[in-house]
Amino acid sequence: MKKSTMFVRMITASLMRRRSRMVVALLSIAIGATVLSGLVTIYYDVPRQMGAQFRNYGANMILTPSGDSMTLDDVAAGAACIPSDQLVGMTPYRYETVRIRETPVVAAGTDLESAKKTSPFWSVEGEWPSANGELLLGAAVAEQYRLKVGDTIEVTYTPEELADASADPATVTADEMILFDVTGILDTGGSEEDHIYMYMADLETLTGTANKADVAELSVSASGDVLAGYVERVAQGSDAVSARLVKRVTASEATVLSKLQALVLLVTTVVLALTMICVATTMTAVVTERRKEIGLRKAIGASDSSIIKEFMGESMLLGLLGGVLGSMLGFLFAQEVSVHVFSSTISFRPLLVPITIIVSIAVTGLSSLLPIRSATEVDPALVLKGE
Amino acid sequence: MFLRMIKGTLLRQWKKMLMIAFTIALGSSLATAMLGVMLDVGDKVNQELKTYGANITVVPKRASVIGDLYELEDGGTSGAYLKEDELGKIKTIFWAFNIVDYAPFLNAAATLDDGSEVTVVGTWFDHHMDLPTGEQLDAGVVSMRSWWEIESGAWLDEQAGADPDAAMVGTALAQRLGVTAGDTIHVTGSTSDRTLKVVGVYDAGGDEDDQIYVQLGTAQALDSLEGSIDSIEVSALTTPDNELAERAAKDPSSLTVSQYETWYCTAYVSSICYQIQEVITDSVASPVRQVADSEGAILEKTQLLMILITILSLIGAALGICNLVTASVMERASEIGLMKAIGAQNGAVSALVLTEILITAVIGGVAGFFAGWGFAQIIGHSVFGAAINIRPMVIPIVAVLVVLVTLIGSIPAMRMLLRLRPAEVLHGGH
Repeated sequence: MKKSTMFVRMITASLMRRRSRMVVALLSIAIGATVLSGLVTIYYDVPRQMGAQFRNYGANMILTPSGDSMTLDDVAAGAACIPSDQLVGMTPYRYETVRIRETPVVAAGTDLESAKKTSPFWSVEGEWPSANGELLLGAAVAEQYRLKVGDTIEVTYTPEELADASADPATVTADEMILFDVTGILDTGGSEEDHIYMYMADLETLTGTANKADVAELSVSASGDVLAGYVERVAQGSDAVSARLVKRVTASEATVLSKLQALVLLVTTVVLALTMICVATTMTAVVTERRKEIGLRKAIGASDSSIIKEFMGESMLLGLLGGVLGSMLGFLFAQEVSVHVFSSTISFRPLLVPITIIVSIAVTGLSSLLPIRSATEVDPALVLKGE
Repeated sequence: MFLRMIKGTLLRQWKKMLMIAFTIALGSSLATAMLGVMLDVGDKVNQELKTYGANITVVPKRASVIGDLYELEDGGTSGAYLKEDELGKIKTIFWAFNIVDYAPFLNAAATLDDGSEVTVVGTWFDHHMDLPTGEQLDAGVVSMRSWWEIESGAWLDEQAGADPDAAMVGTALAQRLGVTAGDTIHVTGSTSDRTLKVVGVYDAGGDEDDQIYVQLGTAQALDSLEGSIDSIEVSALTTPDNELAERAAKDPSSLTVSQYETWYCTAYVSSICYQIQEVITDSVASPVRQVADSEGAILEKTQLLMILITILSLIGAALGICNLVTASVMERASEIGLMKAIGAQNGAVSALVLTEILITAVIGGVAGFFAGWGFAQIIGHSVFGAAINIRPMVIPIVAVLVVLVTLIGSIPAMRMLLRLRPAEVLHGGH
């Protein structure tokens, strides 16, 4: 009891007396620990965050009817096979040929709210439609008919069985017609520009048939084998729809994402290794400086083991403090990075705290052990003489 | 005398000095590696993102208005084509260096023997070009459709003097017709017919699975459209768009002269489109938003991430160096006290200590620079399979950083020591 209190007192007194030197050492250990915990947190978080960025490329899976057609319920059932926290968005599309000023145009009925999620790259001039009776025009269609945002157009639909008999004036009146407001012009640089987009309900009113979809786009935040597993799951879970991967998106994402991960891993390794060596050299310098003290203690009769114990106790206490400080600062740093780069927060990893503390104690302990050893081995007279 | 004293210290205390040099070398290698990687990561990731395919499409002016709307009944109704002989001009624009790949396409509607319609697409596979600049370029769908899986056979090889009748067939069509590599398909175009030899079957996971891909000349012959193409897909390295680029994309003439110049001379996707339109007659070049926008977002995020990691490691390296330098100066309290006791001026003492430390710093810094360059190359080769191109600006940044950090580490400590009275220092009473 008495011996241990003396030990504690010696260590704390030594830390207090040489305050400025110890603050310097503590700072360097804390920086090392910050780098460790911060970078490891980022490394684990990057795949998730980057994966979310890759969803910018839009849908990576599509659902198509297994048979001739599928209903909206089939689509919802198929999408339910994918865990909802992985599903970024699910958009059903139904394509029908309608007429604007007697010329045919392909109209897509969809859920425009979720289209925003599955096709984040759609650039809309004006506003997205927010209610029935509003329409999104593809840029090519808008140019063809010289339409602008704010115009109103008539869209008509001729049922297929009547289309052949269009010469008969009696059947022409059977056409459904809806007056739409053009709220936005869609610019994608792709084939979407040749279509017009409206809410599913409007298309159902136009065609007179409800609950039908041609294809559904799914944006799933998963890649590689996990994604392939979901395709299997949909195949088992639903008979009416079959899932296919959009190879262009999935194959490319796998390549690029793995490269990015490798990049962060390597950078983390290099930075960590160099920082740890830096901490070690600082600790070595701090201990080497105290050769005289060690010599003096030996001269007045302290045993080597008690000196090693005391000095090690001191360094490891520093390591502990630095580790605790560093794991907090590291989390703050990782949080800052996440908020600035990906505008989302990261989850705290409790396991990383003990790891950071253990690593920093180990690094400080090991790096002070060698110089203490060499100091105790030297004849005290020589050390005290100052050579 | 001054020199001899410095030499004396460096030689006598070489162990301590070596340790300082080592720490400075670590710090500077860290700074070099991180700055090098950070400045180059944009280009490298940009290259990787090219696997998503073209980010610019070029179509004839009139066709872009009417679009693919009538393509169902196509065969030549739109009547507007680009000229094949102008293709080489794409590599002559201001940002030619950023154009990494491009391929022309011509869709010909053909009829199979069973009467069904099929789209025959003429394109470049691995077309070899000798550019007027002396460069050589292999462009075509082999690299622009990197996600295609070859199910049987191989890619059509244009360079090996391939047969003009060679063709690649999409997997869905191949299954329907029951053909594999080595079989033949007879197609009839609007003006001539051909017996195509299937050299490969591909799985594209999209509409292309129902099409036949042949060399450009073969498709042109089917419809007697020699020298014409429908569209060009261009894969270019671009800078993420900003507000200026968005304004310019709408109307380049709304910019002031200096803004126009900035825009024209920056690799924005809109300025590259504009430049392509300048060289290809009657064309409209537009960015493929799915690729161009996403590329911008991912590039920006990666760069920002690397910048923040670089800043953290720079701070870490700077504090590490600073600490050690302070420690080493403080350690020499008695030496400085002695020098002052025998009559040295403050200035002379400072000059001596600073020179010693700076010499050590320069040696460590130079060694560290090369080590860091090595680290950067290791990262570059193992991640991207290509050397990291260390920008010249890294050298002055690292040099300034090392010198500044060393001075910041040593000056406050020196000032403190100089303020002390020699007697106290020598007596050992701190």
